Amino acid sequence: MSPSIQNRIGVLRAERGLSRQQLADAVGINYQTVGYLERGDYNPSLELAFRIAEYFGLPLEAVFSRQPFAPMSSQLYGKEESA
Amino acid sequence: MTEARPEHPVIAASHRRPLSSRVGSRRVRRRLIIATYAGWLVFAGCVKFLSYGPLPSIWLGLILVGGNLIVQAAWVTRRTIISTPALVDAELDERLIQSRNAAFRTAFKIFGLAALIGWLLAMVAMQVQPNNQGLLNSLILFMGVAMLATTLPTAIVAWREPDPAEPELSAG
Repeated sequence: MSPSIQNRIGVLRAERGLSRQQLADAVGINYQTVGYLERGDYNPSLELAFRIAEYFGLPLEAVFSRQPFAPMSSQLYGKEESA
Repeated sequence: MTEARPEHPVIAASHRRPLSSRVGSRRVRRRLIIATYAGWLVFAGCVKFLSYGPLPSIWLGLILVGGNLIVQAAWVTRRTIISTPALVDAELDERLIQSRNAAFRTAFKIFGLAALIGWLLAMVAMQVQPNNQGLLNSLILFMGVAMLATTLPTAIVAWREPDPAEPELSAG
């Protein structure tokens, strides 16, 4: 079993008010696959990862990571405090 | 490409109704698979029991074929993301294609073994019981292997597919 790739699809989808079906239609995958991606049950291909990142208008590393993502709040406010 | 393309000519030719994403929980699916194969064994046992009665052999054969058709209708003809072995690539995304290909690989191994064992047992049955009972036992074995050949890939997908995604809390 390959290690799970972390992603922020759920957060980004909620932020933009998208349903799983809307995201699935936009990137050409099945509705359930979006759920499995969010849950970490499935690691996307590089091509699909790029498609998702492009759809959200973000660089790949902002959506997918091999390491667990730090919470958005700690990333934003942590940097401001140290600056 | 793995994108769903409704205009794909293969789909256009065979399209009957949209692909359903509704799948039950993994536990329910696994119980259904066990019930299907266990049910078929009980069914085969009943046919064997009937063979000791006055029913002609041709009827026993037809009952076996009918039982197989019912199992296949339940497992193969549905159009859900569990039925990927019966669907064309253009209807599936990359995850479903991977899942289907992995199921075919596993099914091929299991089916190969089952066919070999079934063939050997059928040969033994024909030798030991060179009469209608031997023929019937061979037919039951053949039908069992035939049923595996048609339903096993779908059953493997159903067995492995994770639980469906949780309902969304906020509407899009």
